[in-house]
Amino acid sequence: MKSRRARLTIAGLGGLALGGALIMSACGGSGSSGTAGPATKGGIYRVAETDFGFTDNFDPTGEYTSEPWAMYRGLLIRTLLGYRLTAGVAGNTLVPDLATSVPASPDGGKTWTFTLKTGVRFAPPVNRAITSHDIVEAFTRIDTPALAAQYGFYYSAIAGWDAFAKGRSSTISGITTPNNQTISFHLTTATPDFPYRLTLPATGPIPSEVAKCFPAAGTYGRDLVASGPYMIAGSASVKITSCAAITPMSGFDPASKLILVRNPNYAPSTDDPTIRRALPDGFSFTIDTNQTDIFNRINAGLLDDSPNTPPASIVATMATNSASKQRIRISPDDRTSYLTMNLATAPFDDIHVRKAVNLIMDKAGLQQAQGGPLFGTIATHIVPNTMFNNDGAITGYDPYPSPSNAGDLAAAQAEMRLSKYDPAHDGKCDVASCKNVFAIASNTIQGANMVPVIENSLAKIGIALNFRELPPGSAYTTISTASRNVPFASNAGWSKDYADPSTFMVLFQSTSIAPVGNINYSLVGLTPAIAAQIGVPYPKGALIPSIDAQFGTCAQTYAAGARQSCWIGLDKTLMEKVVPWVPYLSNNAVHITSSAVTAWDFDQSSGGTSYARVAVNPATQSH
Amino acid sequence: MSHPMGRYLAKRLAWTVLVIAIVTFVTFVIFYVLPSGDPALRFAGKQPTPQLLAQVRADLGLDHNVIVQYLLYLKRLVLGDKYGWPGLGYSYSTGAAIEPQLWQRALITMQLILGGAILWLAIGIPVGVMSAVRARSRFDRISLVTGLVFMSTPVFWLGLVLLWLFWTTLGWLPGTGYVAFTTSPASWAAHMVLPWITLALLFAAIYARVIRSNMIDTLGADYIRTARAKGLSERRVIGVHALRASLVPVITLLAIDIGTLIGGTVITETVFNLQGLGSWVLQGALNQDLPVTLAVTIVVTVVVTLLSLVADITYAYLDPRVRYK
Repeated sequence: MKSRRARLTIAGLGGLALGGALIMSACGGSGSSGTAGPATKGGIYRVAETDFGFTDNFDPTGEYTSEPWAMYRGLLIRTLLGYRLTAGVAGNTLVPDLATSVPASPDGGKTWTFTLKTGVRFAPPVNRAITSHDIVEAFTRIDTPALAAQYGFYYSAIAGWDAFAKGRSSTISGITTPNNQTISFHLTTATPDFPYRLTLPATGPIPSEVAKCFPAAGTYGRDLVASGPYMIAGSASVKITSCAAITPMSGFDPASKLILVRNPNYAPSTDDPTIRRALPDGFSFTIDTNQTDIFNRINAGLLDDSPNTPPASIVATMATNSASKQRIRISPDDRTSYLTMNLATAPFDDIHVRKAVNLIMDKAGLQQAQGGPLFGTIATHIVPNTMFNNDGAITGYDPYPSPSNAGDLAAAQAEMRLSKYDPAHDGKCDVASCKNVFAIASNTIQGANMVPVIENSLAKIGIALNFRELPPGSAYTTISTASRNVPFASNAGWSKDYADPSTFMVLFQSTSIAPVGNINYSLVGLTPAIAAQIGVPYPKGALIPSIDAQFGTCAQTYAAGARQSCWIGLDKTLMEKVVPWVPYLSNNAVHITSSAVTAWDFDQSSGGTSYARVAVNPATQSH
Repeated sequence: MSHPMGRYLAKRLAWTVLVIAIVTFVTFVIFYVLPSGDPALRFAGKQPTPQLLAQVRADLGLDHNVIVQYLLYLKRLVLGDKYGWPGLGYSYSTGAAIEPQLWQRALITMQLILGGAILWLAIGIPVGVMSAVRARSRFDRISLVTGLVFMSTPVFWLGLVLLWLFWTTLGWLPGTGYVAFTTSPASWAAHMVLPWITLALLFAAIYARVIRSNMIDTLGADYIRTARAKGLSERRVIGVHALRASLVPVITLLAIDIGTLIGGTVITETVFNLQGLGSWVLQGALNQDLPVTLAVTIVVTVVVTLLSLVADITYAYLDPRVRYK
């Protein structure tokens, strides 16, 4: 315990420092200018990260993390629809990109037709106009099992989707292209959020003359043909006369670097220059496995940016200096960090226990453990407010309030007295199943700092956790293996895929429960049949609530206002009637940029730097 | 192979092959026994479907049981794969072939280790000899205390202090990262000097103490007294006769240290952002990237085994009493 206390103390001090810094300054912020003069064209924007973290070797068909999405959207790949690539609610607003407009569906969400802009061309080595057939090629790749598309399920409502995947059809019948500039999607069920799904990078145009040479998963990324303002260096040197002639583009080495240069075929007139400003002449993304070193090099002017979260100690130091605090960029991200409770394991199979845990939790302590207020605001419900356009019906909603967010002992004990696990009615769990409760935590600095906060909070209502701290990857795979039936975990967090609350609510669908790769950690909607399938015992006498019906209603609602109200209602249902989580932090994305950065913005849609909207002054860069 | 030396080499090389087989098997077992979960999960996105997981497992070759996977790995290792020979496969994380990365990173690590080794020998040998010759002198005591300081100083701390002093504060050196010798010899040296010093100070302290101890023992030996009695100069007695005998155990030590450092420079490489084998194997372990972990393990095993063979041969050269059996 001594070491944990020490870690907590350090976190506390760091948090105090950061809190002070927050009061002192707004710290840069999104959409802000830099300190090295006006934003002008030119220079190389230099980014380093500890690991590219690609999930499919930069093949857009299977890439499913925020940083490559930020690269694609801002720099490399245009999609039918896109976003403003800026911060906040505005950054979640749909805009046309390759399409001429954001269409309405004539039948409540089952048919969607798009007209493509003319004059949009692929980068070298393809050098031709982009047509509707190139969009079809992207969908064909998504629906090809061997290519391991990682979010193909978003398109399974397209007619003929399964038939193509299973080889029963040579085309996807629900996608039609009456001409080179028109594409229609015909869905089997109403999918009002389908336009949002067309913002995902996998749906960007892919030239079949190159893609056909990459029939295996994770191979096309080495020769990705751009449609955005930049392309991979060496693109022009690749020969595409035959598949055998194609060599990897020289600007990309997945182990060390990704170098981007301007796409000579990009026509700003086909794009919105207020969105994609495309000011730097190029971008370099490199690997530096030492996170602290990255930020030291940014402060020394040797780098300009990093998608990695800076250590709290560096942020705290910078926040105390009037010059350096201008370079701290704080952007509320559409991400919620939460503690998850398993509804199929004691004592969390009792809703009163879950409510008591919410009431007693020292969320302020967890916030400090995560680095302090700069790294996020206290979360009080599931979906971040920006996803609801800061709707007054949900902002300020807090079903489990406590003084200073430090936990409310009296309210928690009152709730615990209602539980079957408190037969003595003393406000504490009295039974053996509350002792030595297995729990998973991440062994990162932040994750380890959280452990004593959680232990101390739950001890007040008689629950003794037995934490196992694991590396982040192992912690994730452990809790997503449903058969392990982990009762409690503190390493969970979720970010949206696109700007619709459904991408959070999917976490509570019973169909999301799987033996391996489970994302419904709380097992909301578990039935005895599903329990048998995934190999966990169904708790005796329990009735695990389901939100499947309400989810279906919201997902089918077409009118925007009614849809938002429906999702808000589901968020409240989850918090009050299901209580699967203790949401504790609406995360901020924290970036530190070099003093050479003259323009910077946050891409709310991807949750990272808006590379389309940055600028550097090469004269002030160090080398 | 009737020559004793030939038989000895053949036997040692056979042992090397056996050790590689054992080590790779143990690595396989550890990878699967540790509670890390299914590695396919890392490459199947946020919301993996059972079909996608099955596809990823098949793509990564994880759809067989552990023993079959191990035997297939050995087969590819021996016969080669589509990337060449030896068949080390491709990284789960990057999809890139292991082999070119391995040599590229090994080159950086070898530059770090050999530069460091030259430096620590250049410091350790003279300090050790001087401490022995002037045992219990002020120099000996100062070298003892200095050595203890460097032996007990954490490498990461020393590296950070050197960076703070020579990069951040004084601005004399260019900081972290690696520049190839062929790009700019001066920049290469400027980037390598702090990692060399960081690595060398710890080992120089150890080697100085070992050499001092050996030297004191040797200086008391009969043949040294004989050499002095025959009128040889003190420089020749110490520099040739005593030093040669004192260095014999150091040869073994050096071979083992260099071998273990091949995969053991994680901290130095991480602090100085050198993309060598150490930082690679760390990333491999954290990312559940089995092919990377196995490749570095094999390299370390081979190098340690071969260096230990070289040490044994050198040992025999330096000490005529040792013979091959």
